Amino acid sequence: MRRGSLVEADLRLLDEYRRSFGAAYETVVRTIREQLQLEPTGRPAKSTASLIEKLHRESIRLVQVQDIAGCRVVVANVVEQERVVASLRSAFPAASIIDRRTKPSYDYRAVHVIVRISGKMVEIQVRSALQHLWAEFSEKLSDVVDATIKYGGGADVVRKALTALSERIAVLEVLELQIGGIETQITGLAQRQVPEQYGQQLQKAQEFLVEVKGNIIGARELLDTALNEAISGVEKLRGRKT
Amino acid sequence: MIFLIEYDRPKGHIVTFSSFHETERLEAENRRLEIELALNRTGVDHEVVLLEALSEEALRRTHRRYFEDPSQIVRSGSGGDA
Repeated sequence: MRRGSLVEADLRLLDEYRRSFGAAYETVVRTIREQLQLEPTGRPAKSTASLIEKLHRESIRLVQVQDIAGCRVVVANVVEQERVVASLRSAFPAASIIDRRTKPSYDYRAVHVIVRISGKMVEIQVRSALQHLWAEFSEKLSDVVDATIKYGGGADVVRKALTALSERIAVLEVLELQIGGIETQITGLAQRQVPEQYGQQLQKAQEFLVEVKGNIIGARELLDTALNEAISGVEKLRGRKT
Repeated sequence: MIFLIEYDRPKGHIVTFSSFHETERLEAENRRLEIELALNRTGVDHEVVLLEALSEEALRRTHRRYFEDPSQIVRSGSGGDA
């Protein structure tokens, strides 16, 4: 199926197929709103252009596409992302979880939760604000610079900038998770019946927290450098285009 | 709210933008199909997408790519305010 060769009947058939995901999509979005008290942005059906590109790129059949319908939740940070993914796991116990933070796809990091309702798959993208920033940047570059960037292509200079950004975000988020873990530990220790028995443990945890918070400042500075480099890179690319 | 966006990818610009109430889903889907059929007839390769969000502001936050250029997207994350 190629866009250029599509006849009206093909487009109508494809549209009918996409619409068949409506009920599953609405169930997923309603559950997220009501049970998780979150407000996702939904995409009831993938665009024809994206769909056809995906079928070509991955040599798969239409029924194998996991993200015909989907929605996106963007949360403040990776600690919140963990909480939301755990809540989604409870709301949809049979869902598949694809954690692209540990196994990035062309440097793309996020968690995708695939829910199946009455045989229809709906993809929920859960991104931290920084993962989202990276994804939007990569997609926009794919739009206006080179369509292959999103899938690992494009000029070396662009790829290196995207990889550096993704890696620095990953480092920062590991530290955010560490801080979240230590804070939970400190709260737990402080709530013990005889907190003084745990004084030494508490002190160690508090010292470690200060150390990790110091590390996160350094990681943020490195990320800001990568962001500034990305901005200069974009300006240069724009200069070349005009 | 439901938003219907016609987007010119290589230019990175929105061509048409319209919104519908949640109860007008069918109308929005029909409008999308009409636009896709018209583009196909004229051989114009635009992305046509339906998105649903609480407000246009929420949509602009979760789908920056349609509204901002690459520098604006990156700038939104610098200085720790991502």
